[in-house]
Amino acid sequence: MAKKTYDLLFKLLLIGDSGVGKTCILFRFSDDAFNTTFISTIGIDFKIKTIELHGKKIKLQIWDTAGQERFHTITTSYYRGAMGIMLVYDITSPKTFDNIAKWLRNIDEHANEDVEKMILGNKCDMEEKRMVSKERGEAIAREHGIRFFETSAKNNINIERSFMELAEAILNKTPSRDTSTNHTNVHVSQSSGHSSKCC
Amino acid sequence: MAAYRARIKEFHDVLNEDQINLKRLKSMCFNGIPDEPGSVRALCWKLILNYLPLSPSKFLSFLEKQRKLYSSFIQEMIVNPGKQHFGKSGKIDVTFEDHPLNPNPDSQWVAYFKDNDVLVQIDKDVRRLCPDIGFFQRATEFPCQDVVNAAEMETLRKRVDCSVLQSHTVMKNRQGAYNWKSSKKSTVEYDLLPDGKEAHWEVVERILFIYAKLNPGLAYVQGMNEIIGPIYYIFASDSEREWSEHAECDAFFCFTNLMSEIRDNFIKSLDDSAHGIGNMMMQLMNRLQLHDPDVGSLMVTQDLKPQYFSFRWLTLLLSQEFPMPDVIRVWDSLFADSKRFDFLIDVCLAMLLLIRDDLLKNDFSSNMKLLQRYPVFDIHLVLSEAVRLQKS
Ligand SMILES: Nc1nc2c(ncn2[C@@H]2O[C@H](COP(=O)(O)OP(=O)(O)OP(=O)(O)O)[C@@H](O)[C@H]2O)c(=O)[nH]1
Ligand SMILES: [Mg+2]
Repeated sequence: MAKKTYDLLFKLLLIGDSGVGKTCILFRFSDDAFNTTFISTIGIDFKIKTIELHGKKIKLQIWDTAGQERFHTITTSYYRGAMGIMLVYDITSPKTFDNIAKWLRNIDEHANEDVEKMILGNKCDMEEKRMVSKERGEAIAREHGIRFFETSAKNNINIERSFMELAEAILNKTPSRDTSTNHTNVHVSQSSGHSSKCC
Repeated sequence: MAAYRARIKEFHDVLNEDQINLKRLKSMCFNGIPDEPGSVRALCWKLILNYLPLSPSKFLSFLEKQRKLYSSFIQEMIVNPGKQHFGKSGKIDVTFEDHPLNPNPDSQWVAYFKDNDVLVQIDKDVRRLCPDIGFFQRATEFPCQDVVNAAEMETLRKRVDCSVLQSHTVMKNRQGAYNWKSSKKSTVEYDLLPDGKEAHWEVVERILFIYAKLNPGLAYVQGMNEIIGPIYYIFASDSEREWSEHAECDAFFCFTNLMSEIRDNFIKSLDDSAHGIGNMMMQLMNRLQLHDPDVGSLMVTQDLKPQYFSFRWLTLLLSQEFPMPDVIRVWDSLFADSKRFDFLIDVCLAMLLLIRDDLLKNDFSSNMKLLQRYPVFDIHLVLSEAVRLQKS
């Protein structure tokens, strides 16, 4: 019998203004590296990463979208199938934070109702240029009942952790086919080293 | 070698006619323009993109006119506003009547700041232009004198810098709580060349900014940088000084001509119109179905939507799919084709057919990877397959 290489498939989506660092975040997560020479995303990009959570192999299919307005007709068509969406802003750019509200409306309009959301305030390595306080990020996340992290693709802060938590949240509401499952109330598998307390 | 030399000679012969035979020139360019160190390719592109007149005796007066015109654009759109706003953008006094938060729509600042938004967007993209070849990060031999030497003006550089600062100042005023600490630090991480010098990417930035100002309905859309990039690169690497010196102006007009044909791809509201990108993607899929029903139906069953890969292929004329020398070779054919962008669809179709065996074997994920990072191929193979398809 052909062996399946994974137990579950989760589709995730990264959205947010152009230049906030979506592609870098994804590259950090999938290839554990930072590259400053990315060209802006045109349309949509795609990566796969398989993770292990509570003994289950989960294949993450991650779609990285272009931030600029022109591409919205193309990118909103991906919202429907997404099980998790990461909304990214840049803590050094108030405008990208203000636009989170707009991206949230987009989700309401185009995504499944029960999609898991997460807000990321990226570039938290640039403390000296910070323009959006962590409290404001937390406040908007609380208001919408969404998880929140400050991240840095550059210094590898909270990147793996945020993907793992998003996957965990999706897993928790995935009806298990395996009845002997014991993963209710299991702790987030703290991937050591990545949860540095910078931000 | 002899054949190569003969080919170059053939180009020179055609280009030296009193009246250049465009049809013949195009059919020669379609098969590839020789990569000789002179300026044959640059000259051919200027002709087949309908920029230069067909009689070389008219080049000089024509070019003089265009260069004057372009220089007046720079004056009007960069130098004059830059002088008007000199010294103001750095330190904004919120009690000042004409400050950026003034809701009065007549406010000069509104226009200036709208422009700055466009500029910041362009800036983000051109800094990252073709990092693989290193060319755009190097200094140009011919910086724009009007800009580099102008005293007391806000250059585009300063405007980008200041608009980052500005949003900080504005935030502070609105929120009160945020103290802006590092006003002395450079706001840009990227190393700029010293004053008096300009990198090639800054020249491209200026071209795109002027284009955006002249075409407000379209302004700047990401991806345009990938279209102007190779054109400017070819013109600026021309070994003849009298051409390379004016690469900026010539590239601007050739880009404008090219954009007039492909601009619909960059307009969201036209996605589903007859000329929009949606229609091109559909044509590609229909032709795939016709030529290779197996792969055609695989695309459907695996839900490999054309937007996932061919949106970028078609919008950027394949400029992100191949290394620069191959892109340039593909563009020889694209620019030379009489039904210019029909051939683009043929090339995309050829790309799909050449990897058909892999496509049929792979699952969705591997196929997505394959299509988004097209494997290295001999570009001539791709093009000859495209020609075969064009004829069929
Ligand atoms: N300091 C710092 N810079 C970052 C970080 N993440 C990304 N950047 C920089 O931000 C710029 C934009 O990054 P991208 O990942 O291309 O942005 P994007 O959101 O994918 O942009 P689009 O594709 O245009 O929508 C790049 O120059 C990166 O080097 C970070 O964590 N810290
Ligand atoms: Mg991106």
